[in-house]
Amino acid sequence: MTERRDGGIHFDHTELTPEELSLQAEVRAFLAAELGAEPGRRPGLGMNGAASREFSRKLGARGWLGMALPKRYGGAERSAVERFVVTEELLRCGAPVGHHWLADRQTGAVINRFGTEEQKTRFLPGIASGELGFSIGLSEPGAGSDLAAIRTRAVRDGEGWIISGQKVWTTGAHRNDYIVVLCRTSDEPDRRDGLTQFIVPLSAPGLAVHPIALLDGSADFNEVVFDNVAVGQDAVLGDLGRGWSQTTEELALERGGPDRFMSIYPVVEAFLREAEPAGLVPPGLGESARRFLGRATATFWVLRNLALSIARAVDRGESSVYQAALLKEMATRFEQDVITALIDVIDIQPVCDSPSVFERILCEAILTRPVFTIRGGTNEILRSVAARAISASSAAPGEK
Amino acid sequence: MTDSLLTGTVGEIFAAACTGDALRAAERDGFAPEIWSAVAEAGLPWISVPEEAGGEGGDLADALAVLRLAGYHGLPLPLAETGVLAGWLLATSGLRAARVPTTVASGADLAWSAGTVRGTAGRVAWGRAAEHVVVLAPAADGAMVAVFNSADLRVESHVNLAGEPRDTVHFDGAAPLASAPAGSGVSAQVLRRRGALTRVVLMAGATGRIRDITVRYTSERYQFGKPIGRFPGVQQHVVHVAQQAAMLEMAADLVCATAAADPGLTGRAAAFQVSAAKSIAADAATIATAAAHQAHGAMGVTQEYPLHTVTRRLWAWTREYGTGAQSADELGAMVAAAGADAIWPAIASGGTTLTPA
Repeated sequence: MTERRDGGIHFDHTELTPEELSLQAEVRAFLAAELGAEPGRRPGLGMNGAASREFSRKLGARGWLGMALPKRYGGAERSAVERFVVTEELLRCGAPVGHHWLADRQTGAVINRFGTEEQKTRFLPGIASGELGFSIGLSEPGAGSDLAAIRTRAVRDGEGWIISGQKVWTTGAHRNDYIVVLCRTSDEPDRRDGLTQFIVPLSAPGLAVHPIALLDGSADFNEVVFDNVAVGQDAVLGDLGRGWSQTTEELALERGGPDRFMSIYPVVEAFLREAEPAGLVPPGLGESARRFLGRATATFWVLRNLALSIARAVDRGESSVYQAALLKEMATRFEQDVITALIDVIDIQPVCDSPSVFERILCEAILTRPVFTIRGGTNEILRSVAARAISASSAAPGEK
Repeated sequence: MTDSLLTGTVGEIFAAACTGDALRAAERDGFAPEIWSAVAEAGLPWISVPEEAGGEGGDLADALAVLRLAGYHGLPLPLAETGVLAGWLLATSGLRAARVPTTVASGADLAWSAGTVRGTAGRVAWGRAAEHVVVLAPAADGAMVAVFNSADLRVESHVNLAGEPRDTVHFDGAAPLASAPAGSGVSAQVLRRRGALTRVVLMAGATGRIRDITVRYTSERYQFGKPIGRFPGVQQHVVHVAQQAAMLEMAADLVCATAAADPGLTGRAAAFQVSAAKSIAADAATIATAAAHQAHGAMGVTQEYPLHTVTRRLWAWTREYGTGAQSADELGAMVAAAGADAIWPAIASGGTTLTPA
């Protein structure tokens, strides 16, 4: 359409092909058999789902992890849309995705893109089989949204490197196998230069992991301290000094997926399953609960199609950095809004140790929702990323 | 006719017609005969009405693409009413559409008896501008479609928030020009769904316009020595406008694809998606208009500046053929009836997996 300018950020509507739909049916059947049989199972909320190496191995055995990776490294050479199909079904069930989550979502892709042949051979088969768990070491006590301010430093030492510093908010570092850690390797006029990614075993001597307990009592976040951790040259991921741009690309993978609006989906499903029998809403749900359910359903439907559109664009080889930022900023607010609206609909004070699965995961959602708009880039940062693309579009009107 | 060729040409016609002066005159006079002539000459109001029923032929999807542009430009005409609504009622009941401005009336208060319609219809779009009024009214055995000459009816003038006629039409027993039993698949519910669909696409166009206007203004307006779009507080508004436009445009794309496959809108997917899209449109109308006005400051609330031509229409259209809350209620009822296990498959399939009502 000649009229359309999109503010520079366009989402093309797309549909699943028959092959993609048959993958969806396959995944649904697997998950129903695997998780559906467990009575009273408590679903996880999105990427906070439990870590189960065993469950991840089963997905790996079906070719549903590291799906886009080359076959010679154990991958399936499938598309971003196919990964989207698998991922949304996992999130819908609140499956135990914690073990493979980061490796599958981003580390595998980054190693495949920037890693050496030796690194690909060494790590990718383990990622695709669900064996290896990865953590990502970006934030530091003095460097959150201002990532270029990191002070963890890697210094050359003969053939290798010595890493010293401290990372925080590192998900899963207490249970994973490796950490990809962003370090300063040189001081340059532009702070975004001179940063380098390293792959370090979490069992390396000198590396210590301390849990950071969160307000809901969970301890999946960690502080990771590097005290003169020695690594070889083979730990360097990608080009020396190019860690910033590699990380930026990685963040696009992190931001545009279904995990940004589906964390709280299991709460909505449990609500509909339990609320009426438990007398939390009037018979027939009542007007306010129906409106809540309808609005949530409508918004899930559109957000899901926006995210699907991003996956399709990735398969066409297009950059989706701005679409992902625009989507994540509103999708995570939606996640919070759903919980706020739901609390208004039900006539109880939820208790965290209730026999009701709905009540328990509602409590978890209430306690964890502040994180939704923080993790993976705060909404303030995302708005500034999206706004840059939007105002750039105005400088060249008439495009598209 | 390819999509882009159609919309490119039509966009030029609408852009040329919808000048600030022309829109103000239309609001003052309750109709814009010159704009109507230009649009009617191109046959645009009758796209999707079959040729044998007096229309231009073409798909419903083509007609909806034209409506989206009408929404973008704030076209002050009964475009949705003449073809997609009244033309559809006429064609499906074996009647012929005339090449005149036409509107549609329905409602609980209307009834067919003794060869005519009695009762009153409120908020009839462009009632006083329409030459023909097409009615869907319940009859003793089913529903009847009847077409009236508006000169034979009593029309009270009212205007909506956008200054568009939303008149009260009294049916006092005048003889219709023609009438016939409503065609199969035609009901008050489906007419309402079709009306809601027209509002969704009009609103998608209008929200896209809001985004374009806001992006441009915040890039061109300087304060403190730089474009105001560089300030994080203003960026927030621009991003929220762009998000709502993306949401509603996606919803409109999805529902238009469904309408192309099911132009009678009787299927499960159509029911699910029209309600869902109307609910999304209501949110977009609330959030995007507020953010856009805030980003514009005082300039945005003047008559001279074009923002109000679309924001006022959004505030009006969002309450037609079901409010956002009513649409959400309908959708919530569909989903609740299907049960907890059916929610996700319905979301992922756009309602296709829901069992028929």
